[in-house]
Amino acid sequence: MYKKTKFYDLNYYKFLGTWAWILHRLSGLALIFYLSLHIWVINTLTLSGSQFNQTMEFLRGDIFKILEVGLWGVILFHAFNGIRVVIVDFFSGSLYHKKLFWVMILIAFLLWMAGGYIIISHM
Amino acid sequence: MKKSIQETSKSGGLAWFFQRLSAIILFVIVIGHFILYHFIFQGDIQKSDVLKFTQYSWFSLIQFVFLLTALYHGLNGTWGVIEDYVHHRIWRLILFSLVITAGTGLLFVGTLTIIRVSSIA
Repeated sequence: MYKKTKFYDLNYYKFLGTWAWILHRLSGLALIFYLSLHIWVINTLTLSGSQFNQTMEFLRGDIFKILEVGLWGVILFHAFNGIRVVIVDFFSGSLYHKKLFWVMILIAFLLWMAGGYIIISHM
Repeated sequence: MKKSIQETSKSGGLAWFFQRLSAIILFVIVIGHFILYHFIFQGDIQKSDVLKFTQYSWFSLIQFVFLLTALYHGLNGTWGVIEDYVHHRIWRLILFSLVITAGTGLLFVGTLTIIRVSSIA
C-alpha cells in the first residue's frame, strides 16, 4: 500500500515546500523540547522566594542573551511558516505558497532583527 | 482489526483541525508572551514584576490557555512526526504512552505553577 519511510531516507528531490516542511518539523521539535525545560525550570523557581531573582541573575549572562535571540528566531520561523500552512490549507494557498513563504520569511526576519536588537542592546 | 477509512480519517481530521486552531491561538499568545517577558521587561525581570500581573485572574486564565494549547500543539506535532517514521505497533504504543505521560506531567506541573504564582499576590 505504501512505502515505509526510514528517518534517514531523505533522498528524494526537495522543492521549496519540502524544505519549509523539514524546517517546520525540526523547529517544532526544538520548541517542544524547550517548552518542557521551560515549564520545569519555572516550576522549581517558584518553589522558593529568593531563588527566582538569583536564577534570573544567572540567566542574564551574555550567552543566554544570544540563545534568547536564537529562540526568538526559531519561534518566528515556526509561527510565520505555520500561518502559511493554515493559509495553504484553508484559502487555496497551494496556488501561491512559494511566494507566501518568502513574504512570511521576510516579515519573520524583520521581527527577528527588531527583537534581536532589543535583546542584544540590554546585554 | 483494521479500522475503516471513515474511522481513521475522522480522528485524523479532528487532530488536523485542532492543530491549526491551536496554532492560531498560540501565534497570538506566544508573541504577546515574548513581548511582555523579553522586550518590555528588557531582560531585567524581577519576581515582583511577574507578580504584578499574576494577581489578575484573566492573566492566569491566559497562562492556562497558553499551557494547554502549547502542550497539545507540541505533543500532537511530535506524535505526527513519530507516526511518519515509527510503524511497529509495540513501538508506537510505547511512544504514544510516553507522549501522553509527558503531556499529563507537564500539564500538572504547569498548572500547579500558575496556581501557586497567582496565590502569592
